[in-house]
Amino acid sequence: MISPDIGILGYGETRHVKRTDRTLLSLFAEVSNQALGNAGIPKSSVDGLAVSSFCLAPDNAVTLSEQFGLSISWAWQFSAGSAGPVAGVIDALRAIEAGQSQYVLCLAGDLYSVDTHYRLMRNFNHSLHNYAAPHGFGGPNGLFGIVQRKYMETYGLKAEQLGKLAVAQRYNALPNENAVFRDPLTIEDYLNARIIADPIRLYDCVLPCAGAEAILLGPLRGDGKGVRVLSGYEQHNYPPGEVAPLSGGWEVFVDRLYDDAGYGPEDMDFIENYDDYPIMTAIQLEDLGFCRKGEVGAFIDAHTFTFDGDTPLNTGGGQLSIGQAGAGGGLMSVVEATRQIRGEAGPRQVARSDRAVVSGYGMVGYGHGLSASAIVVAGENT
Amino acid sequence: MTENVYPQPHEDADNRPMLEAWRDGRLLIQACDSCGVSFYYPRPLCPECWSDQLSWHDTSGRGEIVSYSLVHRPNHPSFNEEVPIILAEVKLAEGPSMITRIVGCDAEQIRSGLAVELVGDGAHKRFPLPTFQLRSQ
Repeated sequence: MISPDIGILGYGETRHVKRTDRTLLSLFAEVSNQALGNAGIPKSSVDGLAVSSFCLAPDNAVTLSEQFGLSISWAWQFSAGSAGPVAGVIDALRAIEAGQSQYVLCLAGDLYSVDTHYRLMRNFNHSLHNYAAPHGFGGPNGLFGIVQRKYMETYGLKAEQLGKLAVAQRYNALPNENAVFRDPLTIEDYLNARIIADPIRLYDCVLPCAGAEAILLGPLRGDGKGVRVLSGYEQHNYPPGEVAPLSGGWEVFVDRLYDDAGYGPEDMDFIENYDDYPIMTAIQLEDLGFCRKGEVGAFIDAHTFTFDGDTPLNTGGGQLSIGQAGAGGGLMSVVEATRQIRGEAGPRQVARSDRAVVSGYGMVGYGHGLSASAIVVAGENT
Repeated sequence: MTENVYPQPHEDADNRPMLEAWRDGRLLIQACDSCGVSFYYPRPLCPECWSDQLSWHDTSGRGEIVSYSLVHRPNHPSFNEEVPIILAEVKLAEGPSMITRIVGCDAEQIRSGLAVELVGDGAHKRFPLPTFQLRSQ
């Protein structure tokens, strides 16, 4: 259980762009000011910092505090790819509960591009560098192509069903000024797009881009603007020893996640999950309890995933349409959930948005993402 | 010229026996002397029971394609002339699964479940890591 007296007070997000002359520190500065601004908290109150970024080196959470003129009593830096920013929110709330800090600023983002992404992935960790890159593995596209084919052949999932997720998310992105891709996408566009790593097509892939997000955590004030984190868990290297598993760490903690929250998947008004590929969105829908393993194809057929549909999913467009700003992708979903719960999502506002499950995923190892995380969030007065 | 050289694994004390054996066209995998589990890729301890009593074992060099992808956008320019790269999960006859590359055939011939074997007759020398071909029936 997480204390009901603390939660999310503010959020920030830059526009996501294919390229920029700005520095990563400048993006973090922008989202920090946004988060403090819409939280109504002065900079002098911030005494904790959590940062998730692949490109921040040689800087880190502590040197960032020097850049930003913050004296902090708690510093945290991720190691779990884009499961990390969600885990960072959990860890930051624990630090606040324990009295280490009172107000923690969580930052995530990267100056990412296609070239940066491929350079990073070749040396992402020893197992990829030594035992995948020398085969011409094609980065995550090649690995997730193996996962997707295995899933499709095991359970009969169709490309059209995965495409439905990508098409719905593009619809969600149309009114999102922060998204890179804002042109309508049809299922024909999806199916006819060029092949990147068969069975992975172009619109299964995220575009590495530049962007950043921020979340401010601290004591809730009962003003209706706060968002509670009802529960949260992370799991790494699950299942151990498998190269291309068809499930992830979410299934380890899913019962605890909902038991702690006091709500089940049927109570979620919308879902923000980690969409590095539609196949991983599909697997998360299963592992987070929305349908049984192997049945996501029928689940996709039976529901609509646009922000105005019956199962709003990745309501800002997700990384598939907003772009993947490196580790920022893992916090984008927390920002979007906060925005929706506060009723500040403008033209893409979900009709009923009291509660959501938000999940992270990442740290690609030898064959798949090793890290999974998730939180259940709700408006402070719901 | 360096553009045409595949990315190489970093050779260290943990993986040297495997990489040296591959230079002779053989695939060695580790097995734990304590709990008996065999595994790939090389590690300094048994991932199952943490024993450091490990030994290297020759394999049959045979396995089966579990799943695969056809990579049209490789991670390094040295592969650009050879697309699609056939990247596969191969389950070895000895048990462990590995990510590897299938060569010597058209992508259209590849199916999950097909039998594969290590490339032989000196063809292995081009490839930095154990690489497979479809097994002749």
